[in-house]
This record gives sequence, C-alpha cells and structure tokens, in this order.
Amino acid sequence: MAQLQSGSFWGPLAFVCLAIGVLLPAVLVALSRNILHAALWLLPCLVSVAGLFLLLGAEMLAAIQILVYCGGIVVLILFAIMLTQDVGHGDVRVLNQQLLWGLIGAAALAGVLLHLLSREAWPVAARPQLGDVTGRLADALLSPYVLAFEVSSVVLLVAMIGAIVIARAEPE
Amino acid sequence: MTSLPTIPIQAYLLVSVLLFAIGLLAVFVRRNAIGVLLGIELMLNAANINFVAFWRYGGAARMEGQVFTVVVITVAAAEAAIALAIILNVYRRFKTANVDQINLMKG
Amino acid sequence: MLGGFELYLIPGLPLLACLLIAALALRPGRERIAPALVIAALAGSLVLSVQALARAAGHKPLSMSLPWLSVGGLTFDASALVDNLSGVMLVVVALVSLLVQIYSIGYMRGEIGYGRYFAYMALFSGSMLGLVISDNIVQTYIFWELVGICSYLLIGFWYRRPAAAAAAKKAFVVTRFGDLGFLTAVLILSFQGGGIFGFQQLEHMVKAGVLSSGVVTAVALLLFSGAVGKSAQFPLHIWLPDAMEGPTPVSALIHAATMVAAGVYLVARTYFFFAAAPSALFVVALIGLLTQFFAATMGVAENDIKRVLAYSTISQLGWMMLALGAGGYTAGVFHLTTHAFFKALLFLTAGSVIHAVHTNNMWQMGGLGRRMPITALTCLVGALALAGIFPLSGFWSKDEILTSVWSSPLPGHQIFFLVAMIGAVLTAFYMFRLWFLTFSGAPRSAEAGAAHESPWVMTGPLVVFAALAIAAGALKARVPWTSFGFGELVRFGEGREVVSFAVIGLSLGASLLGIAVAWAAYRAKVISPAAFNARFPAIYRLLKNAWYFNLLWELFATRVVIAGSRLAAWFDRHIVNGMVDGVGWLSGWAGRRLRVTETGQMQFYALVFIIGVIACLVVVFGREQSLVSLVVPRP
Repeated sequence: MAQLQSGSFWGPLAFVCLAIGVLLPAVLVALSRNILHAALWLLPCLVSVAGLFLLLGAEMLAAIQILVYCGGIVVLILFAIMLTQDVGHGDVRVLNQQLLWGLIGAAALAGVLLHLLSREAWPVAARPQLGDVTGRLADALLSPYVLAFEVSSVVLLVAMIGAIVIARAEPE
Repeated sequence: MTSLPTIPIQAYLLVSVLLFAIGLLAVFVRRNAIGVLLGIELMLNAANINFVAFWRYGGAARMEGQVFTVVVITVAAAEAAIALAIILNVYRRFKTANVDQINLMKG
Repeated sequence: MLGGFELYLIPGLPLLACLLIAALALRPGRERIAPALVIAALAGSLVLSVQALARAAGHKPLSMSLPWLSVGGLTFDASALVDNLSGVMLVVVALVSLLVQIYSIGYMRGEIGYGRYFAYMALFSGSMLGLVISDNIVQTYIFWELVGICSYLLIGFWYRRPAAAAAAKKAFVVTRFGDLGFLTAVLILSFQGGGIFGFQQLEHMVKAGVLSSGVVTAVALLLFSGAVGKSAQFPLHIWLPDAMEGPTPVSALIHAATMVAAGVYLVARTYFFFAAAPSALFVVALIGLLTQFFAATMGVAENDIKRVLAYSTISQLGWMMLALGAGGYTAGVFHLTTHAFFKALLFLTAGSVIHAVHTNNMWQMGGLGRRMPITALTCLVGALALAGIFPLSGFWSKDEILTSVWSSPLPGHQIFFLVAMIGAVLTAFYMFRLWFLTFSGAPRSAEAGAAHESPWVMTGPLVVFAALAIAAGALKARVPWTSFGFGELVRFGEGREVVSFAVIGLSLGASLLGIAVAWAAYRAKVISPAAFNARFPAIYRLLKNAWYFNLLWELFATRVVIAGSRLAAWFDRHIVNGMVDGVGWLSGWAGRRLRVTETGQMQFYALVFIIGVIACLVVVFGREQSLVSLVVPRP
C-alpha cells in the first residue's frame, strides 16, 4: 500500500479509478429499474469508498466501512427487499413524478456547493502526521471522545430494541 | 506515510459533492421506500468521504475527523435498522412499499 | 366636636331599617313590624338632623369624610356636610318622611306587599337624606340614582297593573335623559377640574376662575338638565302625572315634597356654577317660567284629583326654578320648604278622600265637606297656602319669589313677572276648583254619599301638616333650634331683603281673583265651564291633552330614536360582524389556497427543504464569505 502512495502517477490513477468506482455504481443505485439490483450496486460503491479511505491513510476506517456497511447494512437492506416485494398493482414505474425537479434540485445544490468549495483557499497542511493512525484513533475514542463512544453503543442498543419492537408482527 | 501533493483536496470534495447529489436524487425520485434509504446511505457516505479528506489534509494530527466518521457509520447502521423496521411495518399496513402511495397526511 | 359618625347615621338609620325589614318583615305574619322599624329609624334621623342643624346653623358647618375609593388617580370620599342649606333640608325631609310613614300605616292597611312598601319607603328616605347630606358631587349622583330607583319601585308598587308598570318605566326612562346630562357634567368636571368633587372645593375653584367660562356654563346647564328630569320641568315633565299610579303617600312624599325637590336642591347646592354663568341662570329662569305656566294650564283641565295636584307640583317646582334663575336663592329654597309641607298635606288629603270614595275622579265626589270634616278643613288650609293667601306659609314664600323676579337683574324680567302673575291666577283657580268639586255641593255618586272620615292615624298627620302649612311663614323670622331667620341662614352671598307692597298687593289680588272665578264656576254655578269648553273647543282640547307633549315625545322616540337604532343595528350587523366574519373567511380562503403544499408526499417536502437549503447557502455565503473562517478561529 505504501508504494501506491508515492509517485505522482499511481496515486492519481488509483484515485480516478476509485472515484469512478464510487460514482458510477451510485448512479445505478439511484436509477436502477430493479430494486434488488439497486441494492447490489451499492456494494461496489461502498467498497470503493473504503478504497478512498485507504488512499487517504485511514486503514481502520476502511476496515470498519467494509465490515459494517458492506457486510451489515447492505445485507440488512437485501433482507428487507425480499420481505417487501411489491405484488405489482399494475403500476410498475420505478421513479415518481418529481424526476425533473429532483434533477434540477440536486444539480442546483451540487452546483452551489461546488462553487463555494472551489473558491475556498483550503489551509492544507504540508506534512501530515501519518504515524500510528489506528493507535491514535483508539486513544481518541477512549479518552477525549469516550462519551461519544459509549453513547453510540447505547444508540445501537436502543436501535436494536426499537427495530425489534417496530417490526414485530401484530399480536393476534 | 508521505503526503499526496498531486491530488488536491478539491478532488475529494468533488467526489463527495457529486456522490451527495446522486444520493439526493435517489431520495427525490425513488418510489420504493428502500430506494430512498439507499439514497440516504449514499449521502452519508459522501459526508464520510468529506470528513476523512479533511482529516488527512488538515494534517492528520487531530483525530476528530476519524472519530466523527466512526460515529456516523455507527449511527447509520442504527438508522438503517430502524428505517427498515418501519418500512416493514408500513408494507404490512399499506400492502406496498411505494412512498407516493402513502399520503395519509395529505391536505 | 366638628361632626362625627352620627352624621352618617342620618341616612344610615333608614337604610338599616330597609335591610331589617327585608330580612325580617316580609313574611305575611310578620309584616306589622315593618312600619315600626321605619318610623323608629326616621325618628332617630329627625332627632340627629335637628341636633346637627342646631349646631351648624349660622356657625361652622359640620362635616365628616371617609376615603372610599381610589382608582385611576381619582379619589372618591364618602363624606357628609351639614351646613345651613343642608341642615334645613335634612330636617324638612326627615319630618315629612316621618309623618307620611305614620299616615301610610292607615292608608296601606290590608294591602298585599305591606312590608315591601315600607322597605322601599325606608330605602327612599335613606337615599334622599344621603343625597342632601352629600358633600361631593359624585356621591350626590349616586344617591340621585338611588332615589330614582326607589321612585321606580314605588310608582310601580302595584306592578300587576299595566298602567302602574308603564308609569314606573316612563318615569325612569324620562329622568334618565336628565341624568345623562348630570353625569356628563360630572365627567367634564373630572377631566377639567382635576378630580376635585367636593362642593366647597369646587366653589373655590369657580370663584378663583380656574375653570374657563365655557366649562362653567356647560357644567351649569348640564347639572340643570339633571334637575329638569328629576324635578319634572318642561320638557321632561311628562312622567310626573303618570307617576300618580303609585300609592298616594308615595305621591305625597316623593313626588311632592322630597325627590322632585332634589332638582331644586341640586341647583341650590351648585349655585356657584350658575352665579358665574349668567346665561345658564337665564335658561333656568326661562324653563321655570314656562313650566309653571304650562303646568298650571294643564292642571285646569284635569278631572283626576291626583293629577291636578301632580300638575300643581310641576308648576310649583317651576316657581322655584324661576326664583333661583332670577337670583332669588333664598326665595326658591324657602318655597321648597313651604311647598313640601302644604303639597304633602294636599296629597295626603287627596289620599284620604280616595280612601273613602274609592275613585280619583272629582266629578264623582262632591259634598264631602260634611262627611269628612277634618280632611276638608285641612285641605282648605293647604289650598289657601298654595294659593298664597296671607298669613299662611305659601303667601310668604310666593311673595318673596315674585319680589325677587320683579327686582331681578334678568333681562326681560318684567315679562317674567307678568307671566308669573297669570300663573298665580291659574294656580288659585285650579286649586279651588279642586276643593269645590270635591268637598262642596251635593254628592254626585253613591260612594260619595256614603263616605266617612278616615281613621286618626291618617288624620293626625293631616293636622300636623296643616299646622306646619300655617306656621311655616314664621321661619322667615326664626328657624327653630337656631338663632337665625331663614333668610339669614339660606342665602347666596349677601342676600337682598326687598319688601315691595305693590308686589304683595298684586299677588294677593291675583290669588283672590282665581279663587273668585273658581267659586263662581263650581260653587255658585254662575259661570258654566261646559259652555266655556263649547265656545273654545280648541283651547279645551289643547289643555285636555296637556299640550300634546306626550305625543311629541312619543314621536321623537319612535321616529328619531328608533331610526337611529336601526342605523346602528345595520352597522353592527354588516360592518362590525362583517369584519369579524371577514377575518374568518380570509383564514379559510388562505388555508384553501395553501393546502396545495400539503401533498402528503414526503419527497415533495424533501425537495422543498433542499431548495430552502440552497437559498440559505446563497444568502449566507453569497458575498465572499469564507467557509473556513467560520470554522477555524483566527490566530
């Protein structure tokens, strides 16, 4: 991985591949006819995001991304798709009536954001400290941000219980 | 790790913004509720890319960028679980997962 | 001691009696204690009033004041003042009230509502005494309204009779017109005068010229309008003849001696306003003159014994107003005093007659002189007093009025004098017409033939009143319990003592002329009233219909007032309600228009949301605002 970082050719190349790997599947996720296909196209997109994390030097995050997102969430979504298959009331449209305005809205937001972000003079650091990133992440999570850490675990517990309760079948 | 002087931060921001916009589009136009959820996941990931990029290009000394990302992923997982549970419930009630057919709040 | 809480007892005792009667004496078996309570209370008030008069007359006035209400920067006191004027009036009111209550025991015996009657009478007496003893104009107004209510309650005592109920309502509504003026005067004073309401302080203010002359004149005229209503002056006199529907003692007490005198008393109390506004004085005198003349003409044509006396009261009150307007302050108040005695007397004798004959119509009476000697004799005394024959009390007061008119600074006072003279003739005429028709000749109906004298509980007060009617002239020389004559006690500024034998002669001559014509027409039957009416039918109709005043007021009420009411109702219904309804309609319309945004589609809401976000971004970051500088603190 370190070799990929150095040199002014492989880095940008990796970036471009990963960027395409993120954006192209994303478009398919958004516009696929078949909902199952759309969920499946999420996988390459998320894996590419993990790749971008790697490229940026956050290995732990890349691992977490794959484990949690690709391995957990996408599977969950696939289960839900199977449980809510549309019987097909004759109306097989995938996209609703807002297509035009949705496109305009999303494009407008993208445009505004790009404009704002591009004119900024970002204070980029010259020398990044890329030592023991994972270790430093662990230190950060277990002191200064231990509260966030613990609360996140409570959130997960509550969400689990909540999901069970909400998705329970109606008691007869 | 050495720096990447050849990839400007704006590149990552571009990817992030575009991914966000695609996710937003999915939220706007998908009829299936799970399709909307997919759009939300895309938007969350766009935000994560942003966080990590700023962490790296801000010097990587302070870990807040990554910490935020961890928390975002955690919450995304929780939210996906709840959202899907709700969608299941709605599906049982309305016999469909198409959000534009669920308009009881109309008027 | 300069006055204490006993001053509050003077009106307080009768009011307490009213409460006690209401609590204890309204059940059928227990009603007999009601008159005892009232008489005891009034006796107490009389004693206290006499005491107060003795201490205050000619010396420093007695006064007592308690702070009562403080609101919005204004303070109102519950205060009492006994000076020369109020001291004399208190004794008169208390005395007349007491005698009338004794008379009522006999008159109202066996009536349903016996207890209620005395409760109302006690309430009235207390209110009237309170009115007289008040030291500030707001308190006077409060008691003014109270006596008005009592008048309503007592006129409509037999409320099951439609005529009585209508008369009570008419009395209240008509006097309301006047009361509105009174209230307006109080309001003007509270704004212009800085919240000063005490009579003595007001007098200082007026004399010091603090108020502009326009304000003073306005206040004087508005106060007089209240007096016009209460004292039944033209044009608000129409309620008094109808008020005769009430029991006769009520007519005697309220509508002859006391309540209707409240208007005259008010003018006397606030005379400093009038003295500073000569145009107001002229109006007072003019109204008084017109009233006394017109009422006398109406009294001539009445066949109901009480209504004749009612018109007589109106006319006599006009005499008092005329006196006050002409500058004869002492004369006016003196006549108020003597009139209280002989008019109460006359009403009570009329009541005695009605009690015996069961009718008010004089043409069904006749020959009662033999059958009811005490009544007839005392009535004669009253009639002579009213006609102003020497040496009865009426002579002295009437003469003083005429003298003050004759020597008055009013413009055109000679014409006033002439008209007053004609009125004097008419007064004597109608009074003796009444006497001859009622008591002399032969009985004209079966009841008249079977009549007998009233019990002593009724004739006793008659005798006392007759004595007062004869002797009250002596007040000029010396007021009992004081060491002064009436003219020295009751005067405004330096009184003028003018004696004119010419006026005395003319006055006596006018009265005798009136008596003579009445004797000729109704005793000796030399002149025929029927022939007169046949020769002058227009005059007869005019007088019989009381110059059509009632009709005029009715037209005013139905045409003008109701038309105005319809306009106001239309305005309320369409404009005011329209505005309120319009707000509602507008809300509904806006809601219907805005409903389009509530599609129930979540993605639509999301789209709108993002558009908002874009707008915010543009607004906040539009002008070269840096993202980084918002987040990174400046070094």
